[in-house]
Formats: sequence, C-alpha cells, structure tokens
Amino acid sequence: MAQSQVRLGGLLLQHQYGEIVENVGTFLASKGSFALRDITDGTKLGVNEVKKALCVLIQHNMMDFEKNRRGLIEYTVHINKVLLITRYPRYIYCAKTLYGDVGEFLVEELLSHGQMLMSQVCRRVSDRITQALEEGQSMDEFQVRKTFVELVKTHFLQRVASPPSDSGDNADSETELQVMEKEMFLIPPAMDIDYSKVHSSVTSSSKRKREDGEEGDKVAKRPRSTSPLSDEKNEDAPDKGVYWHVNFTRFHQFFRDQSVLSAVNSKIDRYACEIVRTMLRISEKTTVPLAPTTHPMSSHEIFQNLPPELDLNRQTLGEYLTLLAEDKTEIVNKAGESGGGMYVLNMQKALETLCKASIESVVQERFGSKCSRIFRLLLMKRHLEQKQVEDMAMIPAKEAKELLYKLFSENFVTMQEIPKTPDHAPSRTFYLFGINMHQVSRMLLDRCYKAMGNLISRREHENTENRRLVEKSQRVDAIAASLQSSGADTTQMSEVEEMITPPERQQLNKLKHDISKLEQSELQLDETIFLLESYLPGSAAMVMY
Amino acid sequence: MGGRGRGRGRGKPLSFDIESLGFQNKKELPKSKEEPPPLYPPLEFKPVPLQEGEEANYLLALKQEFRGSMRESPYFIKPQSAKKDIERYSDKYQLNGQNKRQGLGWTPDWNTFPKELRIREKKPKRLKLSVKPSLSGTKLKVKGQKGDAKEAENKLKQILQAEEDGEDDDDEDDEEEEKKKKEAEGEEEEEEELYDEEDIEEGTDYALSYFDNGEDYLDADDDALEDGPVY
Amino acid sequence: MEQDSTDGVVIKQETVEPVELESRVIELCQETPKGITDALIMRHMPMVTAQQRAMAINRLLSTGRIDVLKGTGGLIYRLKDTQGTNVIKGADNQEKLVYQIITDAGNKGIWIRDIRYRCNIMITQLNKILRNLESKKLIKSVKSVAASKKKVYMLFNLEPDQSVTGGAWFSDQDFESEFVEVLNQQCFKFLQQKATTAKEAKQGPIAQRNASYASSKEVCKFITELGISKVQLSVADIETILNTLIYDGKVEMTVVASQSSSVEDSQTKLFRAVAPIMQPAGLMRIPCGVCPVFDRCHEGGAVSPSTCVYMKDWLEF
Repeated sequence: MAQSQVRLGGLLLQHQYGEIVENVGTFLASKGSFALRDITDGTKLGVNEVKKALCVLIQHNMMDFEKNRRGLIEYTVHINKVLLITRYPRYIYCAKTLYGDVGEFLVEELLSHGQMLMSQVCRRVSDRITQALEEGQSMDEFQVRKTFVELVKTHFLQRVASPPSDSGDNADSETELQVMEKEMFLIPPAMDIDYSKVHSSVTSSSKRKREDGEEGDKVAKRPRSTSPLSDEKNEDAPDKGVYWHVNFTRFHQFFRDQSVLSAVNSKIDRYACEIVRTMLRISEKTTVPLAPTTHPMSSHEIFQNLPPELDLNRQTLGEYLTLLAEDKTEIVNKAGESGGGMYVLNMQKALETLCKASIESVVQERFGSKCSRIFRLLLMKRHLEQKQVEDMAMIPAKEAKELLYKLFSENFVTMQEIPKTPDHAPSRTFYLFGINMHQVSRMLLDRCYKAMGNLISRREHENTENRRLVEKSQRVDAIAASLQSSGADTTQMSEVEEMITPPERQQLNKLKHDISKLEQSELQLDETIFLLESYLPGSAAMVMY
Repeated sequence: MGGRGRGRGRGKPLSFDIESLGFQNKKELPKSKEEPPPLYPPLEFKPVPLQEGEEANYLLALKQEFRGSMRESPYFIKPQSAKKDIERYSDKYQLNGQNKRQGLGWTPDWNTFPKELRIREKKPKRLKLSVKPSLSGTKLKVKGQKGDAKEAENKLKQILQAEEDGEDDDDEDDEEEEKKKKEAEGEEEEEEELYDEEDIEEGTDYALSYFDNGEDYLDADDDALEDGPVY
Repeated sequence: MEQDSTDGVVIKQETVEPVELESRVIELCQETPKGITDALIMRHMPMVTAQQRAMAINRLLSTGRIDVLKGTGGLIYRLKDTQGTNVIKGADNQEKLVYQIITDAGNKGIWIRDIRYRCNIMITQLNKILRNLESKKLIKSVKSVAASKKKVYMLFNLEPDQSVTGGAWFSDQDFESEFVEVLNQQCFKFLQQKATTAKEAKQGPIAQRNASYASSKEVCKFITELGISKVQLSVADIETILNTLIYDGKVEMTVVASQSSSVEDSQTKLFRAVAPIMQPAGLMRIPCGVCPVFDRCHEGGAVSPSTCVYMKDWLEF
C-alpha cells in the first residue's frame, strides 16, 4: 500500500473515529492482515481499545475478517474505503439533488452509522425531518420508506453482505444467509412499502424545529424522541438482520456521468448535454453498470426519450448526434445506420479524455503554456526526438531542451534510447520522448493523496495553534447561551461577548476563514482524485460491487 | 560584395513591429541560480482560484457538519487514559462529548460481528450519571441562579479570568491531573466485571444503548449548531 | 576562416525583378558558352536600364557565377565553370577532392568534421584548403540554425537550404519566438472571432460548427492583411503556426476534400477554435499542486505542511 495512502487514511480515521481507530487502521493498512492478539501487540494498545476500533471499522464497512487455517480470525482493513471519507459530503449532496432532503438525510445517516436496518434509518430520518418542521407538522415515515426504496431501486443503497460467521454453532439461517448479488437490492418483505401500519404512530406530538436549540427543550426532548423507538428493538425489528449501506460504486458511476455531461456542455452546448443525458438514461436499462461502452441506441429511441421541455425536433437531434459522433472527444460513436442511425456512448474513452484534460491542466498550471504545448504534442505524436519537438512546438532549441528536461525530471515525460549502432555511442543514439499516461496518472494520484494529507495536516496545525482561543470562545459562547436562557438583558449579553477582544475576534475569523478554505480545497482536490481513480483500472472508484 | 543590402537590416532582429501590437518587451527569463536554493523558492506559478458557488458552499457546510457530528458519535473512540486538557470549572458549560462510556457505546449486531470482539464492560458504578451529559447538572445550577443573572455572569467572568492567568503553568497542571486520573482509573479497573453473555444476547442492552447513543448523537448535533462552527 | 564569409548569405529574398534579370543573363551565357557581350544583353532585354544591367552583372560577378574577359569588341561575360576541375586550375588533388565533397553536399552544406571524415585530410591541412577555396570565392561557410556554433560549407553561388537558415522564423540564425507567439495569438483570435460569429448566427448545430471553421488559406490571408509580418508567410508557414494552437489544446483541425480540381489542393485543412472541456484540476487550486519542493515536504521536516509559506500566503486572501 502506497505510503501516501496509508498516511491519508490514518489522518481521516483519526478525524472521524479517533486516534485508536487510526492506530489500528494504519497498522493493518501498512502491515497486512492480522489476528486480534497480533494487532494488540503490534499497536501496543489495550485489548479493549483494539476491539472497539475493529468493531468501528467493521461497522463502517472498511474491514473484512476471515478465519485463517489456525482458526484465528484475521482482520483486513480496506484503505480504499477509508479514503472515501473525503467524498462523504459529495454522496450526501448527490442524494439531495436526486431525492431531496429525505435522500440527503438517509445517506447522511447511513454514512454516519456505516450500516443500519431499513426500519432504523427510516425512523431516524422521519424524526429528524419532523424536528425540523414547523410545530404541528410531521414527516410521514411512509414517505421516507418510499424514498429509501427508490434509492435501493436505483442501486444507490445496497445490502451488507453478511460475512461468514465466526462461530459455526449459531445457525440462524436467515441472518447467516450470504446475500447473493441479485439480492443486494432486495427489500425484505416486511419492509415493503405497502406495509404502512407505522403511518399513524409517527404523526405524534409537537416537535421543535431542528435549529431551535433552546436548552431546556433539548433535555426534555430526549425521552420524547426515544419513546417511539423503544418498542421496536432491533431483535424484534421486522427486518432484523438485513443491514444496508451506501453503494459507493453507484454514486461513482453517477459522478462519472456528471463529469462527462459537464464536458459535453462546455464543449458543445446544453442541448448536446441533454441528449447525452438521455442516452445515459436509456442505457441504464440496457447496459451493465460501468461497462466501457453502452448498447447501441437508435436516433429514434433517443428522440422518444428526450425530455419534452427541451423542445428539440427530430432533424436537429440528428444534427446534434452527427456533431457528437464527429467530435474529437469521442464520447459518442456512431454504430450503424439502422433506425435513423445507431449510437453508443463510449464511457471509457470519455473518462480517458477527461483524465487527459485534467492532467494537461496540471502541466499548464504548474509548468506554463509552453510545457503544456510540448506535453500535448507528445500525447498526440506518441514519440518524438527533441529536434522534432522544437520544430513542431516552434520553441527555440535551448528553451525546448530545458522544458523537456523539466518535464522529464518531474516524471511527466519518458525518454527512450534507441542506439543506431551496437556500441551505444551517445552521438549515434536516438532519444525519443513520449508520455506514459498511466504512469503520469498514478504519479499525480499519489501527489493528490499526499496533498490531501497536507491539507488536513495544515488544518490540524491551525486548530492546535489557536486551541486556547477557540476554547475560550466556546466557553464564552456557552456562558452567553446560559445567560440568555436565564433571561439576561442585552447589556449583560454584550458584556459577556466583550470578553473576546477585537483582535481575538479577528483571529477567530481568520481561523474560520482558513479552516473553510482548507476544507473547501479538500473537497475540490477530491474531484481530481476521483477522476484519476476512475481512469486508472483496478483502483477503488470503479470496482464492481 | 555587391550583394549586401539584401535581406533585412542587421540592427533589427525582429521581423515585425512589436510595439504596434501593444506588446511589452520580452518577458524576463528566469535567472540562473548560483546560491543554494532557498527552502521555499519563489513560486513560478500560483494556484488557480478555488471554485465558488452555491454547490461548493453547501458541500462545505455538509462536510463541516458531518465532521462535527462524528466527533460526538459513539464511533469516535477516545483513549481510556484520555489526555484531557486542564479541567476547568467552566468545562461544565461545554458539551464536547467526553466519552463517558467505558464500553463500546453502541452495540454491533453480534450475529454478524466476530464474537471475540465483545468487551468485558465495567460495571457501571453510577449508571444514571454516566449516561447523562453533565449539562443537566449545570443546567439546574444556572436555573437556580436565574433571579440573579448578573451575579452569575460576574462569577463566570472571574473564573475565566482566573483560568487565563493560570494558563502559563497549565502543563504542570495537566500532568498532575492526569496522574490523579490514572490512579482513579486503576481503582475502577478492579471493579470491572464480565457481563453475562446471555444478557447481551437477549438484546435488552442492545437496543437501548444503540438508540440511546443515537439520541446522544442527535443532541450533539444540535449542540454543535448552537456552539457555532465546529473548529 | 576569419574573413567574414557570411556576407553573401543574407537570406531573405527581395523583389523578384533583379533575380529574374540575373537568371536571364545566366541563360544567355548558357546559350553562348563562349561568352556574351553587353550589346547582346541589351538586345535581348531592351527594357532594362543600364544601371539595372550593371547591377545584375556586378552581382553575378561577385557571387562568382560569371567571369569577365576582355574580348575584341569590349568585355565578354562567360559562365563560370562550376564543374570542378576546370575551375580549380592549378589546384592540387586534395583541393579538388574537398571541392568535390562540398559540391556534393548541395545547398544543405556540410560540416568540416564530415568533410574530414570523408577525405581523411589532416585538420590543419584541411583548414588551409578551405581558406584557400573561400578566398577564391569558390565556396562559402554558412552558420547553421541547427547549431549556432557550427558552420557548414557549400558552393559560393548557392542559396542555403531552409534547414540551414531556418526559414521564415529565423533572423540571422536566431529563432524569433516572440514573432511565433504573436502569430499564434493572432491566429487564435481570428478563429475565436469566427466561432463567436458562428454562434451568434443561431443556425443549426452543424451549420454553426461549419461556420466556425477557417481554412489555412483564409487564416493566411488574414495574417497577411494584418501586416504584422515583414516577411511573406506561406500557407505552409501559417499551418505550422496553426498546428501549435492544436498542441495548445485551443484549436481542432479537420481535413475535408476540397472543391478544387487540382491534385495538390484535393484536401483542405480546416481549423476552428474550441472551448476547453473542463476547469483546471482541483489539485491546481491548492499550493501543493504548484509546489516545487513537494517531494521534500513531510510533517516535522524543514519543509512541512505546518510551516509551509506557500500555504500561509495562499490562506491570506
């Protein structure tokens, strides 16, 4: 496992689950699969701490375990799954754009708990939304379940495959059942959305808005929220044993599609983009997810499926399809003439195009336009001698040589020696420059992982530097809050607030700005990571479930 | 040598009029460096601006909220010998979750988790207290003083001031604090006791702790909002 | 060698007329190997003034293409024999050999090292021979753009090949990169303008794309009319520039069969400006993307995320 990945995984685990989980995760990620005892020895942690950490990792689908030949259970951490933590906000946001607030909360809950029963998560989400609603209104749990079923239908959620039990004696066939692939998206009969008896029980007493955090209310709220759940213990849950989690691969497929659509939008226009979106929708029914190319679809079929509000006539559609098929991005290919022309989407090619564009932008922004010209030239012509590069890129010999060397020394460009004579004399040797896309992508992906680690590291540093001040402001805020609840007047309030001096206030604002900027960067850096991972075969993003 | 004069004059190296196009003189080429390079050499290129917009803002809000709530979740394991910052009187006003639980704090479905990961839990000495956040106690106190908010405020101010003054020798305090704590924990350790397996299997504890903690988490969420941004 | 031998090698052609005049004179000389008189030239080219005639003769004499002899009825011009042996009267075999090697090299010239390699003459001796031939204006040395310090030798009367002079982009062996960049920008501007106009016309998608295309000829015409180049640029020159725009990722090229019936023109290259398909990568929005000391950076090191000054500056705004 690459060091940059292990470091980043460690930082992410530390921030999400604390340093004990980090220690265990990092140990396993760098050393391999181990039994409980070895992990305890290797990490020098208490056995209970290790147990807790392993439970957390298993709960969040970041870990597998298996009995080895000696009968011991060995634990394996999946660092790729850990690294997805940086993408959690995007999964949640995506669910929001597709399925509204309910979708957003469902995915958020599932990501915070790793895996949950459908009954659990739906109950929690309806409670959460109800709390956010106006007094007297409430969220129908049935609606939540409907959205849940939608998310499952579209494969954004899937069942957790039960691992083989470590104790053979416990032969509860229903829970021990290995969930087969086709059952991954099967709603347990008890949770079928026709089953709507819960309906009435949820629309209960008045709830507060979520943002209304008055303290007295909060304490009182606790039992109220728990009560409807208490009669539904997990053991008795109608869907007991059937856990669900987020199907990252499906989300990744969606992200991939979105970036392709956005590329079409900027390269051609909105109409072309909507046409490709329609093609993607059609192919969802005919093509296995993540297949490199879709099934062919006819111009007629595409026309039938166009959103009516697009208001595109058949002839214009034909023109757009021709345009797309002739475009250098090669996202759409023409596959035949029948049915008014048959077309396929080449998603693998599209990813390659996007990835190339992304890498080209790296060269452009890091080394400047001349280097980016040389880089693209080498991508197009595959192999060139220095002299050819000078001539074709029209860059003076000396400069071209320097730039080529820079790209070479930074591993963006490869050099191949082809001796003309058997003595390998340098004067009689061709030096061919070229680009290995996979190698460059891998190198950049590694840089991204390290950069992500750096951003988190810097964030941590900023927090540590300002810890005392932050603690002080938190205390002052807490005091202010309790004073307010005890009916203090505005003068008293402002006096409390003045405990933070203007320079301190300024520093706090700067800290807030810095943290936000760093976190925003993490989100945007993740886009590059996603693209590179998707392009590189065998990387985390695009592994079939 | 009658042929001279053909071609272009020598004085003018450019074959076009550069000023007529509004161009400045040629860009300065990077100077060759002779002294050892500085630790952070000047950047030749600056990073491009981050993208802004509604989507970016929402994503950021989601990220910060999620991070904040995970800190308070039962999955966030604090070391048992938690290195706690100096205990302050005003800590009582803070809701940052100290992990008061000795056990897991949540209950996995032992049908699918390796059973060897079950933890011998400490017999909770004061179960009620350990479940509730210390806030409730504070709450009462503050309520008691309701009539005299001003007094309370002054008192708190004094405390804050005192703490600030004392910050210099915090480190020593920390150590001492920790020593004390460790001792205390040693004592507690002895009281540890294995829970009845049957008990857990039955699931009484199961559902309770799972959902109970879930609630904790929800509340923590609210707290996070109330406390302003989570740093 | 020390003498300035590049004088005759000035590159760019000027008005066509004097050159034409010279070649007419050469033709006449070829028709009459024994030599021609001034009167004969006047008879064949009555329109040419005496001054022009004198200039052409002088030029041909100075470049060593004709000899002047005193005949019975005045001066006689005769074609200089460039076929070796006759010219180098009294030359020894080594000189003849070197002359032959240089003749074979044509207008691309030959490096001294390669001459030596072919003839196996000691360097001092070879230098002497070359100096000798140069002083007789039989050969000349030309600075090559391929390597600024190297000179190539060729026959005195030859126009150096473009590979030696570098063509339109070179001035005295110096590559004019600013000139190239200005042309690159102007060509792009032109294509961009064309694409914008095409978009504004609100036609069908195909018509819009086609209207955004410009042929290299069209671009060439635009550049010529712009008048930024003092040198006449050919369509091929402009295509070279347009190609750099392709490598810049700003322009796409397509080849179509053209309407023209002539064989060379059966294909037309069309160029159009295209929009980028994506924003710069997220990695490039943070200091780590452009960091020159990234590989040395680790927590606790001299260069580290916590102490990074690039991050500090970047967080300032």
